[in-house]
Amino acid sequence: SPLPQERGGNNSFTHEALTLKYKLDNQFELVFVVGFQKILTLTYVDKLIDDVHKEFRDKYRNEFQQKGTLGLLNGTFDFKDDFMRLLRDAEESSKVRAPTVMKTFEQSLKSQKTVKCMIETRGEKPKEKVKNKKNKGSKKEGTEAVAAPGKASAGDKQSSGDREELTKDEILQKNREEFFRRHMKAGEKSSKSPKPEAQKEKGKKPRVWDLENSNAKVLDYSNSATNGNAEACPVEEFDPDAALGDRNREPGRLYDLEYESDEEAEEEKVVQNPSKPSVKKGGLGGMFGMLKGLVGSKSLTREDMDPVLEKMKDHLIAKNVAAEIAVQLCESVAKKLEGKVMGTFTTVTSTVKQALQEALVQILQPQRRVDVLRDVMDAQRHRRPYVVTFCGVNGVGKSTNLAKISFWLIENGFSVLIAACDTFRAGAVEQLRTHTRRLNALHPPESHGGRTMVQLYEKGYGKDAAGIAMEAIAYARNQGFDVVLVDTAGRMQDNAPLMTALAKLIAVNTPDLVLFVGEALVGNEAVDQLVKFNKALADHSMAQTPRLIDGIVLTKFDTIDDKVGAAISMTYITSKPIVFVGTGQTYCDLRSLNAKAVVAALMKA
Amino acid sequence: AMAGTLEPHLEALRRELRAPDPTVLSVLLTLIAVIVTLLIWRLVQGRRSSRKAVLLLGLCDAGKTLLFARLLTGRYRDTQTSINESSAVYRVSNDKSANVTLIDLPGHESLRLQFLERFKAAARAIVFVVDSVAFQREVKDVAEFLYQVLVDSTVLKNAPALLIACNKQDVTMAKSAKLIQQQLEKELNTLRVTRSAAPTSLDGSAAGGPAQLGKKGKDFDFSQLPMKVEFVECSARGSKGEEGDADFEGLEKWLAKIA
Repeated sequence: SPLPQERGGNNSFTHEALTLKYKLDNQFELVFVVGFQKILTLTYVDKLIDDVHKEFRDKYRNEFQQKGTLGLLNGTFDFKDDFMRLLRDAEESSKVRAPTVMKTFEQSLKSQKTVKCMIETRGEKPKEKVKNKKNKGSKKEGTEAVAAPGKASAGDKQSSGDREELTKDEILQKNREEFFRRHMKAGEKSSKSPKPEAQKEKGKKPRVWDLENSNAKVLDYSNSATNGNAEACPVEEFDPDAALGDRNREPGRLYDLEYESDEEAEEEKVVQNPSKPSVKKGGLGGMFGMLKGLVGSKSLTREDMDPVLEKMKDHLIAKNVAAEIAVQLCESVAKKLEGKVMGTFTTVTSTVKQALQEALVQILQPQRRVDVLRDVMDAQRHRRPYVVTFCGVNGVGKSTNLAKISFWLIENGFSVLIAACDTFRAGAVEQLRTHTRRLNALHPPESHGGRTMVQLYEKGYGKDAAGIAMEAIAYARNQGFDVVLVDTAGRMQDNAPLMTALAKLIAVNTPDLVLFVGEALVGNEAVDQLVKFNKALADHSMAQTPRLIDGIVLTKFDTIDDKVGAAISMTYITSKPIVFVGTGQTYCDLRSLNAKAVVAALMKA
Repeated sequence: AMAGTLEPHLEALRRELRAPDPTVLSVLLTLIAVIVTLLIWRLVQGRRSSRKAVLLLGLCDAGKTLLFARLLTGRYRDTQTSINESSAVYRVSNDKSANVTLIDLPGHESLRLQFLERFKAAARAIVFVVDSVAFQREVKDVAEFLYQVLVDSTVLKNAPALLIACNKQDVTMAKSAKLIQQQLEKELNTLRVTRSAAPTSLDGSAAGGPAQLGKKGKDFDFSQLPMKVEFVECSARGSKGEEGDADFEGLEKWLAKIA
């Protein structure tokens, strides 16, 4: 569903075997959708949708304007006949253009040429053959089995076939002639060859290569008179003033870069002057236009919105939103606002800002429930542990946030097993062991009815991560732990064998929640990381519906002040919610996302 | 002496009124006109902003748009997923003078909270439409949305009447209203615990809203809410299919009561 998710920038959408092209009418709040099979390439779809839009709007304009919602509900929109007529017109217009009847051989220029002149241009023959093949291929693409073009194509095939046969004959003839010529020439050549060769040899000069015959003298281009002689250096006229430049500079001081604003001001003046007369001409009309814009009933055009959208896009990119996502967002907002009638006393800037704000809030709204505790309770009832896997690139804070989340779970009374599946990084297991010790000190078994709330399951370094995860889950089921948190090693998204290993871990163990840990400092890289991680998980999964990333943990949020764009980039790419936000390195620094606050920080100037 | 000091002022006023200075008089008149218009405008605004709206909320595919169409026109319509709100004035059948504005809000996850924000202040009553057939599967999502509606500060302050319409009763597998009520109460009971335990929001406000739903210590019950809650069964499609009428007398009666 591209429209509610603010992906409406591109006006076509593919779903299974169908391609849907859509057009928005923002004035009357209508959506026109055309669906057709993906394998067909119909050229008249765009024109059809425009025609339908215009006709429908003109025909039912009164009903929209006057009756409002009741009009929409009650009115019978008997548009079927008009639609069929428009469809037929569009199909015919496309048919007329497509197959141009090919000229028969007699008509073409080639039949007028003699055979001899064609032999010389040898390169043309293969080109001819390629052209014939292309024409045949395009005929096959046509989907409408109409009689007239069919007949034409049959006729063309025949003529091109004739052409091929002729070319074959011609080739034979040409080859024979060449053969004879060569034999004759060979005889002549053999007699002539020693003489010209002898002549050539005399005139031969040795080819001088760079490295082989390097004669140091030949290569030395330096002036032998002056170089190497210390005394005989030519004295140039040395002008100290010219060399130093500014006489007034203090010795030893490094000056700042001077900002030359005068030249720029001049340029601006020059540009403005030619535009001024045009402003004067349109003065009166311009004033009325401005008044009309203030009072309302002015519909937004692309030109009005473009400068504002450019500024908003730059603003978003300055706030650390990935560049391609900022572009797509602005496109989608533009499409949504085009043709919309503005209210009274609203400027273009305010309308666009409002629309962009709504779009951003929409993106940050989760598409599915974000309630980990509820799901843990469910799993508890079924007597199986709730498995959460943390994945991400190196150094984003997986282990730290794992510890924070386990602290939060313990506070809510759930027992946690930490599976140390990071068997690569030095000190990973020790780090988790330290966390376990500290958490057990904070929540001793005595205060929770005698059971240890946190335990670490580790098998040292160098072992297979997927195997350790499986054993940990089985151990948790036997011992009655509520939650299993699986910590994996950080890996770059380009590292194919490591991505395969991660995909295997997730596919084999089927965790309940796959969390991607990303830092809020990341910029355009976020797009690449998420896309590649999702792709790896999808490629290496054997199941029908592969397990992809289910949620995002945004870490190091305290290091960015209001450059919160990474949140937007990540949720836009995956359409998955941000489950947790990490705001520091102590156990209490775990927050949940507040969409409105983030959007307010983003839109703040 | 007092009269003496007042006398010259009174004399001046009388002189002014008798031979009025045009500029002063015009200024006075414009001031009076402005004050009168402001008063009238405020009166009109007040009447318009009185809560006259009935919101139709619910998950995606619960049947809100079809219910909306049936209430207004009585006829069946093929509907699509709404991406915008629709509003119209609904006249209660027996009483000609009473009318309410029905507002049908989209149920899509990305849009529902935004539209609720926009229209919650104007709500006199809320109809929460539940898909009785898919209820077993969706109970957690239904409960979460209902929780978000109930915990909202504006809703708690205004306490609009709440009707939970169990739609799609024409299908045989539909759950009854009583069952739905019990399940929702159980689910909301657990939800208020988990929601208040969720990590606090980024700007410091608590995730589950400052209010605690219902009474602490006791299991959650719809009677603990500050607003009147009723459960009703209905079917927008109607038992006779698309040609017949919809079965929602309970809904219509409730709307008549509200108006």
